[in-house]
Amino acid sequence: MELSGMDVSAQGRPIPENDRTPLMSRDELVRRLSALAGSQNLQVIMRLLADHVGASHFLLARYDLIQEQGLDFIVTSNWPFDLVRRLGSELASAYTRSTELEKCFSVLTPSFALLPDEIVLPEKLSRQYCALTFSVGRTRFSLMLLFVEGVILSQQHLREIGLLAAYGASFVESVESRTERDFELTERELECLFWIAEGKTSDEIAVILGISRNTINNYITSVMRKTATKTRSEAIAYAVRNNLV
Amino acid sequence: MGYSRGGTADGPGSVQHLRLQRGSSRSDIFPKLVAMQKSLKARNFAVFRISGAGLPNKRKLVCELENWGPNAVENSNRLLREFEETLLDHVEMSLLPLVWSGNGSGSTMDAGEFSPLIRRLETAVLPFSGVVFPVRLGALGNGYVAFFADHLTLDAGSVIDQHVESCQIMMDLLALDERRSVPAESLSEREIACLQLAGDGRISEEIAEKLGLSVHTVNAYLGSATIKLDSVNRIQAIAKAIRLGYIT
Repeated sequence: MELSGMDVSAQGRPIPENDRTPLMSRDELVRRLSALAGSQNLQVIMRLLADHVGASHFLLARYDLIQEQGLDFIVTSNWPFDLVRRLGSELASAYTRSTELEKCFSVLTPSFALLPDEIVLPEKLSRQYCALTFSVGRTRFSLMLLFVEGVILSQQHLREIGLLAAYGASFVESVESRTERDFELTERELECLFWIAEGKTSDEIAVILGISRNTINNYITSVMRKTATKTRSEAIAYAVRNNLV
Repeated sequence: MGYSRGGTADGPGSVQHLRLQRGSSRSDIFPKLVAMQKSLKARNFAVFRISGAGLPNKRKLVCELENWGPNAVENSNRLLREFEETLLDHVEMSLLPLVWSGNGSGSTMDAGEFSPLIRRLETAVLPFSGVVFPVRLGALGNGYVAFFADHLTLDAGSVIDQHVESCQIMMDLLALDERRSVPAESLSEREIACLQLAGDGRISEEIAEKLGLSVHTVNAYLGSATIKLDSVNRIQAIAKAIRLGYIT
């Protein structure tokens, strides 16, 4: 399952796990990435990073979109399409199985898992794949890599490209508007959600915000409609899960 | 069932296990920061975390660790007066490191070929130069690890190494927090099951039917869970249970 990376300290570089030196030095990698800083072309950036660790295929997914139908949550990928389609639901359910805290502790920690047996892989590709998660703003991303059988990926290099992938996503995110991903909830609605999550009642929130109790209830109804939730509890759970409060 | 504290809690990958891998006190984190400072050839460090997450106008940065010595309060306040807003906004959309050159005579910050990958801030107030690494773990534990000196010269290798390490530092701090905030009495399996279903939008009657209990029993479980989670009502209990990882 998960390989421990705790031996990777700030100063010492770990002993290389194999003799295969990366295709380019780290300085060269940073130089090339710098050149791409303005371009917002995530596909080129991910290709570059995958090459650096010796992976043959990359897939970048954003988890805030995973609950929706279709494959919109895939930002960029050069995985075989059949594999992506087959894996979509798998990824979504794996994501909901872990808790927020576990996700917080897994940032930039490479984890390895096996693709389901019934999936037909292109020749020579390993059934094992590597996943690295990171967050940019409120969006959590996962970079998933496929590699040729026998290639051993270095933990240190994986962490580095995880960070650089986050830089790459930051180039794009900085331009994208922030409000767009707030599920179109207004500032006032978010404020109400925040206070409800703190255990306040409508009456108390009315006093805090200086507006009427009915207005508060209207805000909450509107939140429940927008988030397609049935009860207040579910609306709050939804907001906490999606880092809205 | 999603996740339970009992049984598999010691297995690899569990929260318990992740916690054990990390240092047991803040004094274990300090030497790591000193080593990072040395490798960046900086003079001081400071770790800031975001508190009051959620409500946009309530968020603030809190200095959790530093080695400024007697000037700590003054330096931290000066830094926050100058950059708090910028830093809070930045971590909402980007993970790129931030740097600035101090206004003191000869205070410099040279980012070399790394320049396109960092964001430069302007200051007329701070006498020292600095580099800050944003860390975004998720709903919890976000913030900045910062290093200061009169002259800072960054090279790509050390920026990447120290930024990766900064993430580890913030995870260490989060692990310490979580250890403290574990409820005095741990939640029972039934309480967790009721909370999970309530968070999924089920009303008490539905939960009762699903678990084969009476409505009163369900409400009692939700009530005791609320008390154990130090909450005033079940909604707050659900929010806390998700943040603490009892339910998903």
